Amino acid sequence: MVNLTIDGKQVTVSKTATIYEAAKEVGISIPVLCYAKKLMPYGACRFCLVQVEQMKGRLIPACTTPVSEGMVVTTISDEIKKVRKTVMEFLLVNHVLDCPVCDKGGECDLQDLAYELESTSNRFEGEKFDLPTDEVNPLIERNMNRCVLCGRCARVCDEVVGYGSYSFINRGFETKIATAYDRGLSCEFCGQCVSMCPVGAILPRPFKFKARPWQLKEVDSVCGYCGNGCTLTLGVLNNKVETIRFNDKIGVNDGNLCVRGRFGYSYVNHDERLTKPLLRKDGELVEAEWDEALQVVADGLANAQKGQGAGILSGARLTNEELFVLKQFAKTLGTQNLDHSGGECYKGVTEGLKETIGISASTGTFPQIEKANVILAIRSDFYETHPVVGMVVNQAIRRNEAKLLVLADKRGKLSKLPGAKTLLTKPGLELDILNAMARVLLDEGLAQTEGVDGIADLQAALANFSPAQVAERTGVSAEQLQAAARQLAGAKNSAILMAYGLPYQGLNKELATAAANLALLAGIPGREGSGLYLCGEKANSQGAIDLGILPQGNGMGAQAMFTAAAAGQLDALYVVGEDPLSSYPDRDRIAKALDKVPFLVVQDLFLSPTAQQADVVLPATSFAEKDGTFTNAERRIQRVRRGISSPGQARADGAILTALAGKLGSSLAFTGPAAIFAEIGKAVPAYATCSFNEIGPQGVVWGGESLQPASRKVVAVAGGSEVEGDFRLVTGSALYHSGTVSTKAKGPMAVLAEPYVELSREDAKALKVADGDLLKVAGNGVELKLKAKVGNRLPKGVLFAPYHFAEAQVNRLYKGEAVIAVKVSK
Amino acid sequence: MAETAENIQVLICTGTGGFASGAQSVINAFEAEFAKQGVEAQVGKRCDIKKTGCRGLCANDVLVDVIIPGQESVTYDFVTAELVPQIVEEHMLKNEPVVKKKAGPYYTQFLEKQQRIIFSRCGTIDAESLDDFIAHRGFTGIKKAVTMKPEEVIEEVKKSGLRGRGGGGFPTGVKWSFCKATPGDHKYLICNADEGDPGAFMDRSVLEGDPYGVIEGMMIASYAIGCKFGYVYCRAEYPLAIKRLQKAIDTCYEKGYLGKNCMGLGFNFDMRIKAGAGAFVCGEETALMASIEGERGMSRPRPPFPAVRGLWGKPTNINNVETFANVSYIFYNGADWFSSIGTEGTKGTKIFALTGKVKHTGLVEVPAGTTMKEVIYDVCGGILNNRKFKAVQAGGPSGGCLPAEALDAEVDYDSLIKAGAMMGSGGLVVMDETTCMVDIARFFLNFTRVESCGKCIPCRIGLKIMLEILERITHGNGREGDIELLESMAYDIKKSSLCGLGQTAPNPVLSTIRYFRHEYEAHIKEKACPSHSCKPLLHFKVIEEKCKKCGICPKVCPVDCIAWEKGQVAVIDRDKCTECTSCYDACRFMAIE
Repeated sequence: MVNLTIDGKQVTVSKTATIYEAAKEVGISIPVLCYAKKLMPYGACRFCLVQVEQMKGRLIPACTTPVSEGMVVTTISDEIKKVRKTVMEFLLVNHVLDCPVCDKGGECDLQDLAYELESTSNRFEGEKFDLPTDEVNPLIERNMNRCVLCGRCARVCDEVVGYGSYSFINRGFETKIATAYDRGLSCEFCGQCVSMCPVGAILPRPFKFKARPWQLKEVDSVCGYCGNGCTLTLGVLNNKVETIRFNDKIGVNDGNLCVRGRFGYSYVNHDERLTKPLLRKDGELVEAEWDEALQVVADGLANAQKGQGAGILSGARLTNEELFVLKQFAKTLGTQNLDHSGGECYKGVTEGLKETIGISASTGTFPQIEKANVILAIRSDFYETHPVVGMVVNQAIRRNEAKLLVLADKRGKLSKLPGAKTLLTKPGLELDILNAMARVLLDEGLAQTEGVDGIADLQAALANFSPAQVAERTGVSAEQLQAAARQLAGAKNSAILMAYGLPYQGLNKELATAAANLALLAGIPGREGSGLYLCGEKANSQGAIDLGILPQGNGMGAQAMFTAAAAGQLDALYVVGEDPLSSYPDRDRIAKALDKVPFLVVQDLFLSPTAQQADVVLPATSFAEKDGTFTNAERRIQRVRRGISSPGQARADGAILTALAGKLGSSLAFTGPAAIFAEIGKAVPAYATCSFNEIGPQGVVWGGESLQPASRKVVAVAGGSEVEGDFRLVTGSALYHSGTVSTKAKGPMAVLAEPYVELSREDAKALKVADGDLLKVAGNGVELKLKAKVGNRLPKGVLFAPYHFAEAQVNRLYKGEAVIAVKVSK
Repeated sequence: MAETAENIQVLICTGTGGFASGAQSVINAFEAEFAKQGVEAQVGKRCDIKKTGCRGLCANDVLVDVIIPGQESVTYDFVTAELVPQIVEEHMLKNEPVVKKKAGPYYTQFLEKQQRIIFSRCGTIDAESLDDFIAHRGFTGIKKAVTMKPEEVIEEVKKSGLRGRGGGGFPTGVKWSFCKATPGDHKYLICNADEGDPGAFMDRSVLEGDPYGVIEGMMIASYAIGCKFGYVYCRAEYPLAIKRLQKAIDTCYEKGYLGKNCMGLGFNFDMRIKAGAGAFVCGEETALMASIEGERGMSRPRPPFPAVRGLWGKPTNINNVETFANVSYIFYNGADWFSSIGTEGTKGTKIFALTGKVKHTGLVEVPAGTTMKEVIYDVCGGILNNRKFKAVQAGGPSGGCLPAEALDAEVDYDSLIKAGAMMGSGGLVVMDETTCMVDIARFFLNFTRVESCGKCIPCRIGLKIMLEILERITHGNGREGDIELLESMAYDIKKSSLCGLGQTAPNPVLSTIRYFRHEYEAHIKEKACPSHSCKPLLHFKVIEEKCKKCGICPKVCPVDCIAWEKGQVAVIDRDKCTECTSCYDACRFMAIE
């Protein structure tokens, strides 16, 4: 700690603090423009100049200068005031000052600063900027006439996002922020630059002329897409979410968002939202009143229970409270056929982790990843499924010189990060590499075996996983995987990351087990600063697991229910917040099941392909319309808050479920999120640590920052098997989408509107295929036509097709396996 | 040395200046002539042609020394290929030096007040020859240094009083000790050879003429500080310097002078050249490091200082070419010897590059403490065309203009700062009475405004506005209060800029206002340029008293608007005049205002 005096006030701060931060501690605000908490000190704007007695004769930038013992700082004096004012005069000479029509007006740092400095006149004169604006893309508008060249956009894109879309070009007064070759913006469109811009130079286009900032009601909630659990502050005007506001004060994401979070909100306002219940009458779905619809559902389900039974299938975007009510409803109905995510894609957590470390959750928290020295990402898609955690990985590399190892069958964004080492394996053989790494640790005496069960069995099972053998099978060199294993074991803090979700069903339990084995041998689970992260694809995947939205007793899981339904052995299916037809593996079987099941109820936001098959469709509400909690992939329970009312007669899932229960004669009541949260605590001890109202801005992490494993047992897993054939297709997430919901959102659709199949340049050349050509992809007895996307990510012979687009029907090809052998032709 | 002592030596300046004046054709001519005449057989001695570095008097290139054993060397200047047969025939074969072509007494005078230490090898040895370097005490400095502990080496540099020759004048030994004190195994050494000041070319000459000397200085520093890797950041506009230095580095690697266990002395040092991309700001050390890292050349805040967190985040020590060259000599001759030269605050010699309206433009090396007057008048022969001296710009665009009253200032760090200029890297631009001081301030500001990296506001925008005010003054649109406005903003820009570029860029304005305020006032109040230099302020009128009636102006006038008859004063028809300034430029008597 360091002691210093600022404007006569004594301050004690950490020795890494800057003068600016120290001043802030004692409530002294020093004006800044280029400073941003999350970015490295930059020192460009010169507004923060102060005087330091020990450094007489010059003015010292407060935001870049570290404190030192005994420093005496003066933050305001006539000299400082004069210099600051001159700098402001300089800035305003050429700035267009079009504040009346600038969307930033009212929350612009330049406006505020000019006001603070009382810059009423200007001694200097000059021409106003007249640069063309970038309006090429639909999401981010760049008007460089308003730019103050603080560099925050370029810095965030580099330091946090790791994309590097912007740079300064030209010199002197002609310096400006530009993209490569000064073209229109073409990037990930995460909009981090929008959030960082202190002025109106980079603005969200969808928000243009929608509202003045002060007219917006701000509602702090949690993003409804992935398991990262980013805080999303909704900007609401007239019961409509008009924009997502920058908020780095609360939550786990430090204000960082991806394209889905920042621009994917518009589906909540979509015209096609369901507003009334629909009943199938004479083969047609027609609007009905709630009471009638609910009665039909209650009767239908009750009847089914009297026959071969009903099944309930939920999505993982319901709140914990709604999931809890759902589970209660299943009890009321008397069915054990309950599940939350098709294809049992979460088995890595519920079974893989459970068998090894005895818990079904990630052991660390996301902020710890930034402090990790070595990070192993299994499947490069981690950036695509959880972009904001990907940004944390990037920060760990840039700020703390973390080493990144990527184990994947293709190169993704993570592979491009500085110093990233990609262990590029043949598809489906990641398992073999994990096994080989475990073997290296055991062979070389690097493994922590004390207190770990099953070592001998594992050792025996790894007989065929010597680095040389695995190198032969996977194409990853023995040296590379040995080096990776040693690095992981030798690091002070390490993190192992793996995403799970609908498109990652294949081998997910085995992969999680192998990852847990490796983590245990490297001493990761439960170690402060280290963690094993298994991250769910959906906003509340972890909540669904915690609350046990899983087959009860001898009940059927999702796959079993569909199998049964297809065989005519299930009488009703109640699907809440899911679109299995579009997103579950093996579409043809799902279609058959939906066709065969005598009574199908779908509760959703849209008339999805699944809903179109239903007997009853119930209009539900989006995350923006309800209160409750989500649990993110690091076990953080966070508040979801209602920002707008639901369209038409749409009702929250919890309310619908209790109303249905009422029809079935139950007293189950949706008593409000606080009361239900307390109920959850009784059933799930991890949730009993706090009350609903005690969940603060940072949420509550159940089990603490470093969750201790309940057991330490390594479990042998067999390796993957190589899929034969000229081409092997893998499916997964594309960066811009999450599940199928984002295909209803303008933002993500503006960036990626169509399904595609991605292939390497080499293959494209051999097949004489260019970007955009239609390719026939045949496998599993199905042939699909998809647009080709040629790129550098994939190795020869491997194809990738994202699973989000219902119309592409990729899930006809994909039946839940890790890799699909396909034939490709033009 | 011994084996060549009996040979005839022809030393030809092959610095950039030499080559520009035709050194290559002179070399070819000598070689051809030797072969044609069979000189070696005739005189019974071998004739060596040595391609040396610069001797300083660049204005008179190509300079050629002919040294016949047992005789005093004879220097010829303005040598061309056509002159070579005569020199060979008369001087070398008949032993009768071509007196008419010998460099005049000015050459002796040029050398007389100089103390050429750093330049002692430039112009003497073959710049590309390691053997020649070694024959001239080369690598004895590092050999001596390794007999001392690294700490003692730093002490020795401290004791010598050497201050950084890049311009700031920070004590070199102290700088080394900072980097040495930072923990870490991985440290970098950088030689700053991004000499960007207009009119400065000292470092280029050192690199071209004595590349091994710089390498040796860097080796000593690397041994003392513990740097294992060194970069020479050299501007790409110096192709010859880069070529020679690269050749020297390659040779050093070949012979084991660089790399693992240098010269068998027990330390490792690798080095490479990084060619700059042409940005002036990259001479600033943080921008320079950004450039080496492959980033855009933009300054970074300090602290952290490079000694703590520099290149690639590692502790880094940066010195200028001339500083490293000095280091070698400190270890040849000892710190006491070095500190015996110069003044109290500035030890050793300093190289200056003289350009502008001075008779003998070129490079001079004088002991610190020599006065500006001695440099300009005694060494460089005074002002061109015997015009009146007006000012000298010392320290490039960051320095200031010193008037005649300040000519007695000694050239050392502190005296120059007191006088309102700075040592800078050592560029001296001499100006005579025809130079307008407002215009010269405008010229330098135009340079810094374009070269600003654009990062901080005061430098990026402030300099541009300042330039616009100066432009309006030189265009006759100056306003009452402009001088005060310039002073006020200059102060703020200096105070608030991020790096040395912005912090010093207003100096030419401030120093010209300080010494030549009346010129500013004349421009603003009378809309007149006292030096008749600002073209927009010319009246295109012939001054009768000054007109020598020579008749040159009507000849150059493209629109035939000047009436003149023999023996008469010329008259300009203002109605037809297009103000092209052809007549003004042509008039040798300053008779057009």
